[in-house]
Amino acid sequence: MKVIFRAQAGFIKRIRADLRRPHDFAAERVGFMTMRAAASGSTLLLLPQDYHAVADADYIRDSSVGAMLGQEALRKALEIALLNKVGMVHVHMHDWPGHLWFSRTDLSEQLKFMPDFFKVRRKMPHAAVVLGPAIAAGRVWLAPDKIERITEFNFVGPRVEVFHSDASGAVDYVQ
Amino acid sequence: MNDFSRQSFLGPQAQKILANTRAAVVGLGGGGSHIAQQLAHIGVGEIRILDPDKIEASNLNRLVGATELDVNRKRPKVEIAKRIIAGVRPWINVPTAEKKWQEADHLLKDSHVVFGCVDGYLQRDYLDAAARRFGIPYIDIGMGIARVAPDTFAVAGQMIMTHPDGPCLRCLGFITNDRLNTEENLYGDAGINPQVVWTNGTLASLAVGAFMKLFTPWFPVSEPYTWLELDGNSQTVTPSKQPRYMPQHDRCPHHSGPDDLGDPFFALE
Repeated sequence: MKVIFRAQAGFIKRIRADLRRPHDFAAERVGFMTMRAAASGSTLLLLPQDYHAVADADYIRDSSVGAMLGQEALRKALEIALLNKVGMVHVHMHDWPGHLWFSRTDLSEQLKFMPDFFKVRRKMPHAAVVLGPAIAAGRVWLAPDKIERITEFNFVGPRVEVFHSDASGAVDYVQ
Repeated sequence: MNDFSRQSFLGPQAQKILANTRAAVVGLGGGGSHIAQQLAHIGVGEIRILDPDKIEASNLNRLVGATELDVNRKRPKVEIAKRIIAGVRPWINVPTAEKKWQEADHLLKDSHVVFGCVDGYLQRDYLDAAARRFGIPYIDIGMGIARVAPDTFAVAGQMIMTHPDGPCLRCLGFITNDRLNTEENLYGDAGINPQVVWTNGTLASLAVGAFMKLFTPWFPVSEPYTWLELDGNSQTVTPSKQPRYMPQHDRCPHHSGPDDLGDPFFALE
């Protein structure tokens, strides 16, 4: 299955700017995108629509991870999916160049909260994306226990950029 | 046969980028046949071509690559375009649809760019909306010839590129209700729509130039749209002034509703 994540370049630029803002105690920031989708044969097209930053007060002090979200942050994200016909994309950033993929902690934490989105919006895919300075990588949930890697990223602006992931889902930046 | 050294200025990754690009060309007449041919020369890896029509004798004045034998055999236009592409670079993948694009939208959804070479404002409006629905840049070309005096004709055309998060053809003032109404009132009027190969060729080249600016880093770009007007009499090309007279919007008001993105009734199986 081919999974394409296609976003407008200006939209991604604004998200990067938001995720780069320093937080009082969290080492990194997190946000959620809403997402629409389209199907074309064996291809699934993921189309992010709006961005919702996690409020400063919705982080929990936890020095063992870059950012720990409180229940209120997840409740708000679930509510957005409940009230709108959208999938949700958890997004954070690894702001260094080169090989891009989730950390081991990212991968295990996602398994705890991503399936919950199917409780409120079960007919839409939900995804987790990590942004690099120029590229992105991620994976999509097609059911609470069915995860696929995102195989291609398109950032569409005055210039169109296309990135492909390797078999693990990771993306390498080639200038 | 993959020596692209004469276009190496496009950047060290340019050929790889182009080889991984999926371009859809809707309409394989005078404009689309030129575009398909140029995309093959450039080295675009997948060229998707859509047109429901078969060639007629009146197309032979401008349909690039067509022969008299094609006319005699009433060959589909997509078949002619596919033959031209395969003749230039056999490794290019060429999915075809000999049907209206609305009946083959699976070829558009995951394309990286859509070229619209269709007749009429309404079809352009629909294609622009479909491209935006799937987050795809849309490049449109069209030409017209008008009698301005008993023995004088004005030849003109346009190439417009819109981005999904920029102004649409309506925002720019190219699609207007007056034009759509006029077109609707002319529906069924089987008057001859003049088309000529050299104007089609110029507009197709402008479209391919816009495409190359989108995909290859040969110089910095930042425009939210491109609208070039061709005066076929003076043979000059200038940026259109029309958008300056249109209201400016932060977000396109015509195609930015919450349900204007993705499949309208998408649901996981």
